[in-house]
Order: sequence, then C-alpha cells, then structure tokens
Amino acid sequence: MAKKVGADRFGDFYIDGGKVRKRREWRGLADTMYDYSRWLKIMTILGKFVMNPRNVKAMFRYRWMANYLAVPMMVDRHTQGLRGEYLRICHEEQDLIIDDVAKLLNNLFRGDRRIGNDEEFSKKVVLVDENEMTTVMMGFPNLKGLSRETPSTYVSVLLNQHAAEHYIDVAQEFGLAGDVCPMPEAEAGVSIDDDAPVLGACALQCNTTCDGSLLGNGVISRRLEKEDGIPVFQIAAPLRHREDDVQEYAAQEIRNAIAFVEKHTGQKWDWKHYFECARRVNYATKCRQEWLEMNRTPYPQVFGSNLALYTETNYMAICGKIPEFERADRRITALARKAYEKKKMAAKEYRHRAIIWGVQSHYYMDFLVWLLNCWGIVPLTDMLSMVSTRVLKEEDTPENRETAYYDMAWLTENMIMRNRTHGGYKVLLDELWEYVEMFNADMVILWEHMSCKALDGMHGMFEEKAREKGIPLVWVQHDLFDPRIISRQGVRDQINTFMRTVMNEEPIDPSLEVLHDEQSW
Amino acid sequence: MSKPLKLFLKLLLAVFGFFAVTFTVYIFNLDMKLTALIEPVLLKHYDRIERDKHL
Repeated sequence: MAKKVGADRFGDFYIDGGKVRKRREWRGLADTMYDYSRWLKIMTILGKFVMNPRNVKAMFRYRWMANYLAVPMMVDRHTQGLRGEYLRICHEEQDLIIDDVAKLLNNLFRGDRRIGNDEEFSKKVVLVDENEMTTVMMGFPNLKGLSRETPSTYVSVLLNQHAAEHYIDVAQEFGLAGDVCPMPEAEAGVSIDDDAPVLGACALQCNTTCDGSLLGNGVISRRLEKEDGIPVFQIAAPLRHREDDVQEYAAQEIRNAIAFVEKHTGQKWDWKHYFECARRVNYATKCRQEWLEMNRTPYPQVFGSNLALYTETNYMAICGKIPEFERADRRITALARKAYEKKKMAAKEYRHRAIIWGVQSHYYMDFLVWLLNCWGIVPLTDMLSMVSTRVLKEEDTPENRETAYYDMAWLTENMIMRNRTHGGYKVLLDELWEYVEMFNADMVILWEHMSCKALDGMHGMFEEKAREKGIPLVWVQHDLFDPRIISRQGVRDQINTFMRTVMNEEPIDPSLEVLHDEQSW
Repeated sequence: MSKPLKLFLKLLLAVFGFFAVTFTVYIFNLDMKLTALIEPVLLKHYDRIERDKHL
C-alpha cells in the first residue's frame, strides 16, 4: 500500500487466472478518498440505471449487456498507479463517458420495439454507425442520433476483453470471412444473432475504412431495411481525403444525408444549433491542441489512455452536440495546466518518449498504462488521437452555411482511423516521422492489427524509414477485438522481448512483466 | 440526552456505517468479485433465449 507514485508492485493486484483483481489501490488518504467518492458516483449511475425496469428487461434480453457488470473495473484498469491531477483527469473523462453510455442505453431501450416500444420516441431516433462521425446530426436538436454498435460492441470490448468473441463466431458460422477486421465482423454478428435493439425512423451508415466495414454495413442494413422497415442512407465519403478535387463530392454527400434525415423524420435542419455545436467542436480542438503542446515538453499531462479514449469519444461520437463535454474539456485543461506548472509526473520514472502508431488493440486499451508503469515508456500521443484540427465556421452567415457542408464533409472524411489508414502515403507514413520530431520522441510503437489490410502493406516502409532516422521501432501484433488470436500477455511479450534484447533494459516494475490475465474482464 | 443530540448521533452513526460498509466493498473490490459470479449465470440464460438468427 503506497501513497508515493510508483511505489506499488502492480502485478501483485492480479489473481492468477482470475476475472477480477484482489483489491483496489491505496493511493494515500486524499487520492484514495477521491477515488472512492468517484466509485460511489459510478455505483450511483449504475444503480439508477438498474432501477428502471426497462433496463433490467434489456439486461436479460441482450447478451452484450452482461459486459456492463464490469464498468467499475474498466475505470480501475485505466487509473492504475495514477495520483493527483492524473487521477482526476482520468475520472473526469471516464465518469462522463459512463454517464453518456448509460443515457445512450436508456434511449435505445426506450425506443426498442422489444423492450420499451415507445413509438413516438422511436420516430425521433436516427441510428448512426459506431464507426462514423456524427456531424450530420449537429443540426437536428430535436432528434436523437443513437448508435447501437457503440454499446453492443465498441464499449463492450473496453469492458470485457472477451465480449466480441461470441459475435465473431456467429458471423463466421454464417459464412462471413474470418480475415476481415473483427470489429465490423462482431457488429454484423450482433445483427445476425438477433441481438440488436430495433428502433428509429431511419439510419445512417458510412463507408468507413475497409472491406470488413463494408461487409458489416451490408449485413446490418439488409436486416434494417428489409425486415425492420428502417430506411438506410450510406454516406460514401471519399477516401482520398487530402485531395481538393473530392471535396465538392464529399459536401454533396452531406447535403444528401441531411435531406434523407429531413425526409424520414419530418424535421428541418437548424443552422443555429449546428453553429453552436461547431463552436464546441472548435473548443474541444483548442483544448486537445493545448494538451498536445504540453506533451511535446518533458512534462506531458494528458497522454496515454487519458488522451486516446476521450478523444475517440469526444471527436467522433459527441461532435459538439453535448455541452457536458465542453465543461469536461475546460476542467481537464485546468487540471493539466496545474500539473504542468508544478512539473508533475504520472510515474516515478520516464525512460522513453514514444509515439504510438497504428490501430490499437481494443481488448487491451489499458496497455498504454502498462507501458508507463512497467517500462517507463510515455505514450505521448497515438495515431487515433491525431485527428483534424481544422477550425470550423461558427458564425451563421450565408457564406458560412455553404462552407459548413465542406466542414462536415471534412470531418466525416477525417474520422478517427480513417484519416490515417486512407488518404495516402503522407498521412500514414510521413506524418508519423513529423510527429516523432515534433514530440521529441525516441521510440515508435507500431500496432500491427493483423486483420487491417490498410496498414499491413506498409510494414517494410515503416521499418526502412525507422532505420534511416535511427529511431527504435517495435511492432506489436494484435487482432483488435479477439484476444484468442493474440492474448494480452502476447501483446506484452512483444514489448518485453524488445526492451530486454534490443534496448537492453530491465523493467521498472518487474511484477507487471508477466500477468496471467487471460480470463480477466 | 437532548432530542437533537440523539438525532445527530444517530445520523453520525448512519453515515459512519454507510462509509464503513461501502469503503470495505470498495477497497477489497467486493463489487467486482460479486459481479464476476453473476456473469456465468447470465451467459447461460442468454444461450436459452430463442432468436431469429440469420444473415
């Protein structure tokens, strides 16, 4: 039990082959009481959620709901070792995301034909893809843009590493290819398994990134349109998103998507609301840039999973629509500034400054926390957090209304992951090395998501450039949603081997090097 | 003992009791240990639900 940062042996908290940990950390009186108070808050959110009979009914209907038993543990995984401002930043983010997901579930089950069957509410719902920017909902204040895939697969795997396995197997039982990205494959599996809530006036999908995504959308939209009677619009955003000649087409896709939503919901696009959301997007961008600026210095503050998870949620799913996130941005920035002024560190020793590139392992999002605690590697930023910083027009004028279509199209094209895995050599390869210099990094950790064909083809080019620059680069293989292919320990082993053999170093916390957490949530 | 003082002591006892119980659950991770037992029961239940499973 330790108050001092880095004094604990974190490996001792794990139970060999167990699902959960032995106990929670003692972080000194003030931080333990703070963490305890936030745990109480989370328990209150969960308590309120289960007080609603509709949600209990859904718990017994949908298999993926069982993963929500693990909510407090997800927070514990990401707060491991954190003290002071870092702990508070993590809770600001995680607790808000938990609250937001609880509201999303509430709304889904309210409109779900099997559960709440509130038909009037359902008419105000537009289903949106999980892997999609939600910009086209920024001008519809009276509609709810709800994603079924976010709680059923995306969040579920954050909660429980094994959450998607059942659905991946279902998809493959029905003949879908096993070598596509397991994320859209699991989403298709949820639909095939008849395990998705049915609601909404219409749905929007996006040609996100890959063969798997197109496959998943095809399976899901077929059921939505042909059986559930929910019309679907496919936003076909250009993949060559840095080229000027595709922008007019991209803007037209946005106009078409808005017209589709208006037609099927009877609602009219509200420019005042759109520009209000755009202002919040700009504020989020400003804060993110300030955090990244700090990360360029010897005292990074918002980094690792604190940066990655929050950016994914705020940039893609929120898109300025929810004011609570603006308030959270403000509080996080204030905490970061405070810690920066005091030159605080999140761990007892920073040995390496790393850029994390590629698509990270979803079943091991707290790997970034492990890197810091086990080896003293600071994950300064990651590929999925390096998203658009374009300032959107936020004043309502006739010219700005026209530009707004281009802004929405730009954001849609530059969705998380898509903005790097597509768009050419520069965005995936060249900009990595620009960031290495910009952040004064001395190491690159390259996720190799083995089912992601967009990245696999560049393997040799990354290595060639790393040799040319003299930057140590380590590949870390994983299969995004499926820990049966490469386990969490399999992920850790690749770093352990590299650090011992190439870098010739010993871990800061040897108890974390090998963990028997294959059965863990 | 006066009535307000009694009430105050009762309230204090209730707050302390609440803290003692919830803090024990928190620090020994008892909430997660309990839900880990519930999960297999739920999974068996899901297997028994009839579903319209198809492409």
